[in-house]
Amino acid sequence: MLIEVQGVTKTFVSRGGEQVVALAETTLDVQQGEFLTLIGPSGCGKSTLLRMLAGLVEPTSGRIVWQGTAPARGSEVGFVFQEPVLLPWLSVLDNVRFPLDTFGVDRRAGDEAARQTLELVGLKDFARALPKELSGGMKQRAAIARALVYKPRLVLMDEPFSALDLLTRDRMNDELLAIRAEVGATIVFVTHSVEEAAYLSDRVAVMSARPGQIRTIHTIDLPAPRGEAVKDLPAFHAWLSQLRRDLR
Amino acid sequence: MRHIFFLAAFLVLWSLALVVFQVPAYLVPSPQQLLAKAWFLLTRADLLTHTAVTLLEILLGYAIGCLVGMAAALLFHRAPLVEDILSPLIVFIQTAPKIAIAPLLLLWLGLDMTPKVVLVAIVTFFPVMSAMLSALRSMPEHLDVLARTLRMSTLQRIWRIELPQSLPLLFSGLKVGATLAVTAAVIGELMGTRAGLGYLLALGQETADTQLVLVSVLVLSLLGYLVYLAILALERRLLRWHDSATP
Repeated sequence: MLIEVQGVTKTFVSRGGEQVVALAETTLDVQQGEFLTLIGPSGCGKSTLLRMLAGLVEPTSGRIVWQGTAPARGSEVGFVFQEPVLLPWLSVLDNVRFPLDTFGVDRRAGDEAARQTLELVGLKDFARALPKELSGGMKQRAAIARALVYKPRLVLMDEPFSALDLLTRDRMNDELLAIRAEVGATIVFVTHSVEEAAYLSDRVAVMSARPGQIRTIHTIDLPAPRGEAVKDLPAFHAWLSQLRRDLR
Repeated sequence: MRHIFFLAAFLVLWSLALVVFQVPAYLVPSPQQLLAKAWFLLTRADLLTHTAVTLLEILLGYAIGCLVGMAAALLFHRAPLVEDILSPLIVFIQTAPKIAIAPLLLLWLGLDMTPKVVLVAIVTFFPVMSAMLSALRSMPEHLDVLARTLRMSTLQRIWRIELPQSLPLLFSGLKVGATLAVTAAVIGELMGTRAGLGYLLALGQETADTQLVLVSVLVLSLLGYLVYLAILALERRLLRWHDSATP
């Protein structure tokens, strides 16, 4: 086990002074090396939960317990946003090396690690390019490389492919699976898409809104490694129907 | 090439107009006379020294104004309370006519370069500070999240995210500040000085030396133009990554 989420809640105070429950009491384990997806409608608290895992938002009550020591600096969590957040004044290589520079890793080791990670996401020929010269999918791949370059224990992805067209999205899903097989990272992934959830995940936590909470957690027992062929399996379609029913 | 042609045509028309309308030379000199005067000032008088004094006032004051303006914006962005406390003073200094502040600075700081440098810094401060502040306020939220995920220190944030991200807007403030800086230096010098192009201007006025005044004005606008060009060059170099950058 990597993380225990123990009875965590989050309450915001709205402008009118009202208490808004973003996340009702939630208990969840994140297993070492698993691909866990949070799926649910808007306002179900999935982004809040993700941000609490990242340490960006403090829970109102409850605890988040890391196995071993809690991350002392940013190097244990990688975050991939919905929009590819690249720094436009840095080349792709410099963007990917950015976290390492921040942590004080020396330049040569940083360059080496950044180049390897770029190769992993298939961007090694674009190391010198500026972000504005990349397509949407390539930008997101660079952002993923930046989140992986310092080998964080946990990679958090907040609807990373929702801004991409369907074809690109399918390709990115396959690439993400390949990358994950390579680096063996633990991933918590947020999405709206039942296809993405069923195709990528080891486990899917279905969430519901008002108040935000986890309704049920499924273990997706589709064969690994996943690939295009999985999408033709009756079991895959059964999972899609199941998840759609859960979300209704 | 076209510029040179227009300049030549302008000089010819100027010379002709003087002859045709019989303008006396003590009111408007001919281009040749002006050039001769400039050459004289350059070789026999201290035109270079005076230019250097003014340029130094501009550069020093501008650098100070820019640095303080940027630092103030970074501070105000983090501590809105400080901005609330200081803003009446800043607005007062900003709205008071600079010509009115200049005598005060001279009284306090003397006749040498210091009051001019301060005046230049004051006029530069405001456009730079407000451009930087609006850049910081329009910073995309996800950059903040990125910085927090990586647990960046305040200095790292400023140096590696906030400054580069602010550059496109900041440069608009830097350009406004540069044009104001030249004006402020001259205003300061006109109020009282022992050296500088403003000194030459005042001297020319007192001795009814139109040529001296004109040469000083020309050198001043040349200075302003060069400062502006330098900023443009810097912008082009630093903003190659930005969409607005000219390829």
